[in-house]
Amino acid sequence: MEIFFDREALALAWPAVRSGIAVTLQLALASIAAGVALGFALAVARALGGRWLRFATPAIVAYADAFRAIPPLVLLVVIYFAAPFAGLELSGFLASFAALVLVLGASAEEIFWAGITAVDRGQWEAALSTGLSRRTTLFRVILPQAVLLTVPPLTNRAIATGKNTALASVVAVPEVLNQATSIQAQTASPAPLLLAAGVYVALFLPLVRIGRWLETRAPTGGPAPAEGPP
Amino acid sequence: MTDRIAPGPVLEFEGVGKSFGGIRALHGVDLAVREGELVALIGPSGSGKSTLLRCANRLAEPDVGTVRFEGREAPRGGAALARVRRRMGMVFQAFNLYPHLTALENVALAPRRAAGRSARGARRTAVEALERVGLGDRLDARPDQLSGGQQQRVAIARALALSPRILLLDEPTSALDPELVGSVLGVIRSLADDGVAMLIATHELAFAREAADRIVFLDEGRMVEAGPPEEILERPRTERLRTFLKRL
Repeated sequence: MEIFFDREALALAWPAVRSGIAVTLQLALASIAAGVALGFALAVARALGGRWLRFATPAIVAYADAFRAIPPLVLLVVIYFAAPFAGLELSGFLASFAALVLVLGASAEEIFWAGITAVDRGQWEAALSTGLSRRTTLFRVILPQAVLLTVPPLTNRAIATGKNTALASVVAVPEVLNQATSIQAQTASPAPLLLAAGVYVALFLPLVRIGRWLETRAPTGGPAPAEGPP
Repeated sequence: MTDRIAPGPVLEFEGVGKSFGGIRALHGVDLAVREGELVALIGPSGSGKSTLLRCANRLAEPDVGTVRFEGREAPRGGAALARVRRRMGMVFQAFNLYPHLTALENVALAPRRAAGRSARGARRTAVEALERVGLGDRLDARPDQLSGGQQQRVAIARALALSPRILLLDEPTSALDPELVGSVLGVIRSLADDGVAMLIATHELAFAREAADRIVFLDEGRMVEAGPPEEILERPRTERLRTFLKRL
């Protein structure tokens, strides 16, 4: 038992892990905010269609599919180790941020898109029939209804993104796991890793609980799904 | 409601045809609705009544033929089409009210965001329109707090708030419980008395007989008969119309 709660190792690990919490939180919050914003912007572009955006739709779909298929760790090491060959030198933090944003953006786009298409087609028709533009219809009529449907799945994706910040340890970002593994290497004790695991649970359990709560109160029995905006 | 453009048709269909996935929903329909006229479209489900209405404001784009509004071909898209749509109010079978907005906000949205009125002006217009349909006391109710009949009257107010030249009504009472039909038809009748031009798809033959200036019978996407109510309903000339009337 002492080996897991090695006081000496824990005393050594705590300041390092504590400084890692700040890095983990920064990376998590920045990636979630930017990823959700990216997904939202892409879904809006896809829903507005029209003229040049029409050509953007296949590109958005291709992006969403590709980045939902690629493992985040693979994307991260590609960005971090391959980008310099393309003349793009990124810090570990920025490479991690980019990978997490690209992955979350792809899921978030699909979630927002699903929300938009779940709003009854009649809502588009009613709004367009009164002479509202597609853009006004989207922002004033469709999205206020769609966004409610997206909150539970987005919360889940946000949690996944937060947890994936641990991947940044492979590119030497001094976040929680990276700090814990370096102390573990110094002390040859598993205690710092247990500490890190506890920190992750403490950080993300509240979000998981919020996600569960949101799911139980998600709107149900809404209008039948339509094939998409006309 | 007398206007400068006197006798010409407000809305005109000329040879309008439309297919959906290889199925012909409309075959070359010619029809004109004049100023202040109420034209009722009758016919079995799937006869093309809804499609014809939706071709009027290009919610459905006709494959062939011409739709004219106030004598000019209706624009195919963009801001010009939006302007024309503003002046053709539409009322749907399923009401299609915005569930996240109050009755007042439902009605005021287009005057504010499509017609560009001030917030106060849009509100005033919306209040007037809701009073006109007898809902001046339910301004702040959400759609789910209203009965079906009240919801449909809010939807009529939403269309009226833009002072349209014509109202397109797609089976406005078909989704209502029988006891609520009367209030909605009453509102429509009072608008007809005020001289609002209307093209209405309906199964309410008694209403059509009494309120319509003309009845148009559609079947399988074709205009089979058209004429004054007593002629269509009492002296049908075609077997198809006779069969349809008998079944009802």
